[in-house]
Amino acid sequence: MSDIDMAQIQNKVLSLKELAKDINGLSKEFPAVQRNINRIMASIKMLEINTVDLVQEK
Amino acid sequence: MKNRYWNPILETLPREELRALQIRKFKRIFEWAYENSRFHRSLYDAAGIKPEDIRSLDDIHAVPKVEKSMMRDIQRKDPFPYGDALCVPLEEVTEFRQTSGTTGQPVYQPDTWQDWEWWAECWSFILWAQGYRPSDRVFIPFGYNVFVAFWAGHYGAEKLGCEVVPGGVLDTKARILKIQELQATAMMATPTYVLGMADTARNKMGIDPKSLSINKITCAGEPGAGIPTTKKRIEEAWGAKVFDHAGATEIGAWSFECADQPHGMHVNEGLFLVEIEDLETGKIIEEPGKRGKMIITALDRQAQPCIRFDSKDIIEWDPEPCSCGRTFRLIKGGVVGRSDDITKVKGVLLAPSAIEEVVRGIEGLGDEFEVVVDKVGDVDRIALKVELMPGTENRREEIEGQLVDQLRIKTNLRYNLSFHGCETLPRYEVKAKRFKDLRKAH
Repeated sequence: MSDIDMAQIQNKVLSLKELAKDINGLSKEFPAVQRNINRIMASIKMLEINTVDLVQEK
Repeated sequence: MKNRYWNPILETLPREELRALQIRKFKRIFEWAYENSRFHRSLYDAAGIKPEDIRSLDDIHAVPKVEKSMMRDIQRKDPFPYGDALCVPLEEVTEFRQTSGTTGQPVYQPDTWQDWEWWAECWSFILWAQGYRPSDRVFIPFGYNVFVAFWAGHYGAEKLGCEVVPGGVLDTKARILKIQELQATAMMATPTYVLGMADTARNKMGIDPKSLSINKITCAGEPGAGIPTTKKRIEEAWGAKVFDHAGATEIGAWSFECADQPHGMHVNEGLFLVEIEDLETGKIIEEPGKRGKMIITALDRQAQPCIRFDSKDIIEWDPEPCSCGRTFRLIKGGVVGRSDDITKVKGVLLAPSAIEEVVRGIEGLGDEFEVVVDKVGDVDRIALKVELMPGTENRREEIEGQLVDQLRIKTNLRYNLSFHGCETLPRYEVKAKRFKDLRKAH
């Protein structure tokens, strides 16, 4: 497990979250993008639960 | 085992860090509910507790519990049909499920897509720990409907990368043939149904379930897979490893038996906070070896939060850590009963699961049985109906002797016993109703 770089994963997940929020903000009139980005944001939340929440503990 | 953990960091987090994580996540979900649910805010305001008051485990113990009856009272009102505990706009709800209504009017459960992802995440921890891998072909003999049951198991298996075969509206024989045809390697069902499938395969189709390719079975919905004698019967019938799991519609999939089969289940303490409350004093039990009822919080579920929910499940902490290396605590023997199932018969406390353990432990008795409690005047009577397996009629006296002895040892009661032919007692596909207390009708 020593080869897992949690700090880097955390940073990438948070970047991904910001990117998804940006796309969401741009897609109010574009259902095909907005509904898909909503699903992606739910998956990103699972990444947060598995990584970001834990790194904050360290 | 290589890649033993779904989340190698979380599942091996030192206990003190895990506890700190739980407290921080509890505070977050409490604040979410306080800000977004009229039901929760009024409950907490009445107790004088605000989000900033949550700093320690003791603070959490003081938060009011939520009973299923409270959820029933607020539902079927606006925002219809969920009422005041709904924390998101209705248009964000993507999933509807409901409880089975075993103990009264069903409770409705809304979930957002994020909550549904979370359900699949809960199941991913379970299935990965039980050895499911992308190479598995998973057969799900479940009537996909308004009950959550194995819906989330289906999505969890997909998330792992397994190939999932939905055995929805097929009858039992067709399901067995489909397992055979596709060489499925794993299956999820209630213990009652898994035993019933084995019985059908063997006695009605001439197929030995062991000859099929199923090598692991995940059971849920009833305590059976945690009862050693029932687990043994299923494992012997199918030639497969059987794993216990517990979850509930209002809670989530909160516990699992891992591949090491430690005679208990891990609580997923990364996603849930479990407290055990003493049935008599109401105090929280921290030490192992003492049974109480589970109070549980789902730490990340948002549409209709589950915060200090009184589940009525009876559990106890195991004193031993698991050989698998997870720091998630074990509950010994899984869920051993429900506080509303435990009843007094002739002045003796009786858990129906104890009768199951005895019946399933005696060779020559069938898998099914039925218990009927009633009252004559002021005196309780308890009757037990069992089935004799074909070819064991000449051993009836011996079997009866074992049954009487074991029942007396395990339950401290004497029963009016009756023996029936094989397959004459009712069969069940989902949750069995083997315990009938007729005293309540008097």
